[in-house]
Amino acid sequence: MARVSFDQPAVLGALGAGGFLLAWEALSRSGLVSPIMLPAPSVVLQSGVALVQSGELVDHVLASLWRAALGFLAGASLGIALGVALARSPRLHGLLNPLVQTFRAIPSLAFVPLAIFWFGIGETSKIFLIAWGVFFPVWVNTFIGVRDVSPILARAGASLGATGWRMLAFVVLPGALPFIIAGLKISLSIAMVLLVAAELAGAVYGVGYLIQLSQQVFRVDQMFVGLATLGLMGFAADLAFDRAVRWLFPWICARAGDARRDAALRRERRRVGAWTQESFTP
Amino acid sequence: MSAASSAAVIERPTPSAAAQDLPASALIRCEAVGHVYRSTLGDETQALASVSLAVADGEFLCLLGPSGCGKTTLLNMIAGFVTPTSGRIVVGGRSVEGPSPDRGLVFQDYSLFPWLTVAGNVAFGPRMAGQSAANRKTLTAELLELVGLGAAADRYPSELSGGMQQRVAIARALATDPAVLLMDEPFAALDAMTRGALQRQLLEIHERKRKTIVFVTHNIAEAIALGTRIVVLTPHPGRIAEDIRVDLPRPRRRTSNGFNTLYERLAAAIGVDMAD
Ligand SMILES: Nc1ncnc2c1ncn2[C@@H]1O[C@H](COP(=O)(O)OP(=O)(O)OP(=O)(O)O)[C@@H](O)[C@H]1O
Ligand SMILES: [Mg+2]
Repeated sequence: MARVSFDQPAVLGALGAGGFLLAWEALSRSGLVSPIMLPAPSVVLQSGVALVQSGELVDHVLASLWRAALGFLAGASLGIALGVALARSPRLHGLLNPLVQTFRAIPSLAFVPLAIFWFGIGETSKIFLIAWGVFFPVWVNTFIGVRDVSPILARAGASLGATGWRMLAFVVLPGALPFIIAGLKISLSIAMVLLVAAELAGAVYGVGYLIQLSQQVFRVDQMFVGLATLGLMGFAADLAFDRAVRWLFPWICARAGDARRDAALRRERRRVGAWTQESFTP
Repeated sequence: MSAASSAAVIERPTPSAAAQDLPASALIRCEAVGHVYRSTLGDETQALASVSLAVADGEFLCLLGPSGCGKTTLLNMIAGFVTPTSGRIVVGGRSVEGPSPDRGLVFQDYSLFPWLTVAGNVAFGPRMAGQSAANRKTLTAELLELVGLGAAADRYPSELSGGMQQRVAIARALATDPAVLLMDEPFAALDAMTRGALQRQLLEIHERKRKTIVFVTHNIAEAIALGTRIVVLTPHPGRIAEDIRVDLPRPRRRTSNGFNTLYERLAAAIGVDMAD
């Protein structure tokens, strides 16, 4: 039999997850808790399969994804545009920054009732809320990235003939890209939070709505299916985002790899340093 | 005028020639330029006193001096990044108002665009100038061949060693076919072996491309190895202490008499100990 090391991360992770599911299954079947309140994982899986087969789950997922994508796109474009504008124009910055900072200080979730009051429970309120939440981190990151663009690179660009919009498009924006992408990535999870909040507040389709509906008809198993779906959606969105970044901007990953390598080297040096110190102290 | 300390070293007229004495034909003319940095608190640092300097076409001028003597300030003024607070700088008959692709730059710190490949970096200047893709491609290939990096065209800067990055930076600066190449301690961060190799390569490029080069360094041996002329700056405030034409035959061996005589003289001018 091949030797399996229990210290491998994948093995440990699988053990942890398997143990958790088994314990949950056992608890649900033990009679200690009501199986209606806490359905076993096997039951949740069955309801999941049923929801997929009826096509219901796919409709909910598509509705949610569509809203999230539109809201994300709107909020991200506005965030990037305003971030660049404020970083490039001190006057505009002076004019708008206090305002944007004030709005940023208000938790986006607090806008749910207002958005529904203004736009109803249709698509507009949901897209608005998601865009609102996505806007701020993207704006902050873009602003910092553009403002702090490397002066050496800007000089290199200028000496090579980049002026005006060319400087912006070919030097400043690419230089700020790592920051912008970090902002977009944070916004991805924010978009999910606002999506669910908006759907819980009222919708006709969507994974959040599925959870809400299941609660009203005491289908806790379906609520769990909704929760698992949200988890998978978040995970898939993160993965797709990373893949897209790596594919579109291979240099960002090369640099990240660099930083990781440097950090590992530093750690190693510290370790060796610590070791020599210890071994030489009497 | 002091007697030349070596047959290979010929003194220039007066090191601090007045601006009106500068030859009109010179490619670069620094006419009594000075610079005072003003901090936001109002403190003033005079980085450079009135410096007059004429650089002829094809010259390889090394600006030599200790840290803080204003070498970078002078170079940045020629580049157009820093405006002189007194005097003016004329390059190719035109007063310098800002940076221009006619003056190529190589910086001390790595300055390649990390988002572009090696080829993309070299093609950047021609792209800004609106050259066709076909032109850019042949030019880039030719320049990468010149710096010996033809095989690295598709790599990203983060995948290159320091020496390779500086060679790409040189190729990139040459791509706009500038009249002048301005280099600010471009090899300072490299190990001795790489530095020697890059110095030889730069001399070859100077020979082949006939560019005028202004090269900042605080390394005496490097200045002697490279320059057809060495201008020594002394600090507080930065001014020209020596202006020496170097006619030593190439390759300039560190062990030769001419090299050592000049070394001692430059060391004395800078005021460093001969211990190092
Ligand atoms: N932005 C600045 N603001 C204020 N003072 C400055 C600034 N840049 C340079 N100085 C001062 O001007 C003087 C000349 O600086 P400069 O960078 O030109 O010297 P350098 O000869 O290039 O030195 P190094 O060899 O260390 O690069 C120094 O005393 C420095 O402190
Ligand atoms: Mg300097």
